[in-house]
Amino acid sequence: MQRRTLLQAPLATAIAAPALAQGGAARTLRVVPQANLTSLDPVWTTAVVTRNHAFLVYDQLCAQDAQGEIKPQMVEGWVREEDGLAWTFTLRPGLRFHDGEPVRAQDCVASIRRWARRDPFAQVLWPAVAEVAALDDRRFRFRLHKPVPLLLLALGQTQFPCFVMPERIANTDAFQQIRDAIGSGPFRFVPGEWNPGQRAVWTKFDNYVPRQEPVDGLAGGRVPRLDRVEWTIISDPATAANAMVTGEQDYWEYPLHDLLPLLRRNREVVVQQRLLDGTYGICRFNQLQPPFNNLGVRRAVAMAVDQRDYLRAVAGNERDGWEACEGVFTCGTALANEAGSEILKTRNIDRARAALKEAGYAGEKVVLVAPGDYPQINALSLVTADLLTRMGMNLELVSTDWGTLVQRRVSKEPVERGGWSIIHTTSSGQSLALPVFHLFLRANGDNAWFGWPNDPEIERLRAAWIDSPDLPTQKRVAEALNRRAMEVLPYIPLGFYWQPSAWRRNVTGAFRAPATVFWNMAKG
Amino acid sequence: MFAYVVRRVLATIPVMAIVALFVFSLLYLAPGDPAAVIAGDQATPQDVERIRASLGLDRPYLVRFGSWVWDILHGDMGVSIFTNLPVTTMIQQRIEPTLSLMILTLILAVSIAVPMGVLAAWKQGTIIDRAVMAFAVLGFSVPVFVVGYLLAYVFALELDWLPVQGYTAFSNGFFPWLENLILPAIALGGVYIALIARITRATMLEVLGQDYIRTARAKGAGQGSILFLHALKNAAVPIVTVIGIGIALLIGGAVVTESVFAIPGLGRLTVDAILRRDYPVIQGVVLLFSFVYVLVNLLIDLVYTLFDPRIRY
Repeated sequence: MQRRTLLQAPLATAIAAPALAQGGAARTLRVVPQANLTSLDPVWTTAVVTRNHAFLVYDQLCAQDAQGEIKPQMVEGWVREEDGLAWTFTLRPGLRFHDGEPVRAQDCVASIRRWARRDPFAQVLWPAVAEVAALDDRRFRFRLHKPVPLLLLALGQTQFPCFVMPERIANTDAFQQIRDAIGSGPFRFVPGEWNPGQRAVWTKFDNYVPRQEPVDGLAGGRVPRLDRVEWTIISDPATAANAMVTGEQDYWEYPLHDLLPLLRRNREVVVQQRLLDGTYGICRFNQLQPPFNNLGVRRAVAMAVDQRDYLRAVAGNERDGWEACEGVFTCGTALANEAGSEILKTRNIDRARAALKEAGYAGEKVVLVAPGDYPQINALSLVTADLLTRMGMNLELVSTDWGTLVQRRVSKEPVERGGWSIIHTTSSGQSLALPVFHLFLRANGDNAWFGWPNDPEIERLRAAWIDSPDLPTQKRVAEALNRRAMEVLPYIPLGFYWQPSAWRRNVTGAFRAPATVFWNMAKG
Repeated sequence: MFAYVVRRVLATIPVMAIVALFVFSLLYLAPGDPAAVIAGDQATPQDVERIRASLGLDRPYLVRFGSWVWDILHGDMGVSIFTNLPVTTMIQQRIEPTLSLMILTLILAVSIAVPMGVLAAWKQGTIIDRAVMAFAVLGFSVPVFVVGYLLAYVFALELDWLPVQGYTAFSNGFFPWLENLILPAIALGGVYIALIARITRATMLEVLGQDYIRTARAKGAGQGSILFLHALKNAAVPIVTVIGIGIALLIGGAVVTESVFAIPGLGRLTVDAILRRDYPVIQGVVLLFSFVYVLVNLLIDLVYTLFDPRIRY
């Protein structure tokens, strides 16, 4: 007996709703997203799940293709003045917001201003911006104090994208959450069906005008081929896997690595890598407090690290599931290099022990905070805990939840007063590809990311990279940055793992991109 | 009786006030910062501080507590820090699945456990009695999530009779509603059935040894009449008490069951809110659960009078 006949047969003719649902199901993509969609504002929060929602609803002025190049998206193109002190952008004709209003240059200007208040990359460039203003309904212009070669990259980046909203919404303070998700993207958000923690729904925007080029990363034609995209929040990975196997769901964004073999065994389920970049592991020291204010102790730990142990703990033994990457820049990108990375190739616990002794480690307590509700970061944390124990360090492993960790990591106090010594996190490859995005490579003391490394030389090199006129110069600076980072160790890179997605075989049109997006996809 | 009910209803006010103070203080003292979660990794400490200020989290404890109590007294439970939706709206969205699950579990558990307990007492010392007791031990011992996964594996994955996850509103039809809830209700009901069956058996054994039962038998009353009319009615007070106390078990178990079966109920709302430190939502849901628990206990006190006319308020 099949499911439909067990309980519903007695009323099959009387209940019309299931029949209707079946008709719509063919054009509805049922998705298990990576997390619960709790906020609709991609400027207010950096949550990746909100960014994924924003890619459905909003459009970008320009966007990254599969090679990382910036291509026009909402704009027809741009003109850069010869002296580099002005850029004029022209919008494509016919663009409309979901409320029916036309997209105007004034909307773009307001959206750029709001986004620039929160995006760290834009904040680096903003002192060079004299003005951004609308010239008419279709053109807006940046006037600059000095040439900013990275302007296009900032506007078209995927890490913290500049999404365009109506001016009346974009005028909201960047630190206040917007309430209306009205964009000009290929799908429109259905607020009436949003039940945070259960469901979020988008429907096709019939008036969307896609570009004519084929899809290429996030660039090219963003053609909506589905009538509805429905996200169902399933917090339990085993239940999500079961729902994929039974066909109750069509697409699972981030299947747990442990469950991939189960999914791969099912002929109706496809498991493939969609994201262009891997996810990188980060081990971060608190450099304000002992013992990791001692460079020798940090270097000793680095000598014990073998990235493969970490990656196996997270992504298992499948060799194509992860790769070591013993430099600070994203492997496979233009700046990737291993200059000075020999310390990460030591991988020897005995030498690490000797180095620890030589550094003068006197048994100071090390507090490693691990988030038990975050499987990947927890696995990274436990491997480090094991290493430190084997090195003979005085370790206290604090297992807590992510919410507590993000508060505790703010503390600069000694461990006896609620501080910490080591935390772990993960980062997308995009975020580590360039010095200007690279959060963990900042070494500006109190203003650096938690752990607060202070190294003027790293900061000098970073500034030099931003001003580098061409790629060869940028590469030379990147090598110097890697060498310096391996000397002073603002963090230890732990390699990267691939995060595949899973979808039912009748889902077509999935393509590789820097973010999870649903245009061009269909369901047969 | 009426005066008693009024007195009990009024007595819930200080109870709820203490719960409110306790919940608010606990959350205030607990570690975690929603502003840091919202701001993400890229934010500067100044950004986090600005978000904290915009959410009103930088205000002193007493000011925040006073403002929250004032709003509650005006029927306003506040707005979720993350979703920007009113807490009352979020609770309304989630209350039906949880109530459905609890009611179905309650009906299922009582209709299975009471006859099981009566049967075990009647057949004391036989294999039936031992089987019922073995089931009760199993029900107590196996965690809800294990039962849930096993049921999902057998009835959803292997047999494909029932869905693995989700919830269909009652308004979409009784059978679709039941289809989604039957496995979660069985999983959640295991402990509850075990508890009620054991209490029923123990109370029935005591009652069946009373003189009036012997008199009933001597009068020629049938076995069914003795068990269900004479004995069970007199054994009902402890059973009803346990059913009431068990509501707390159901509330706790619903959190796990809703996660295993992806039911969008209040249990999952609570867990999600706790993990994100969404204070207004946590406070609202805990207050609601406390109120329900106080109310259920009041109802049980009133139900006693139906079973035992000697009880007067």
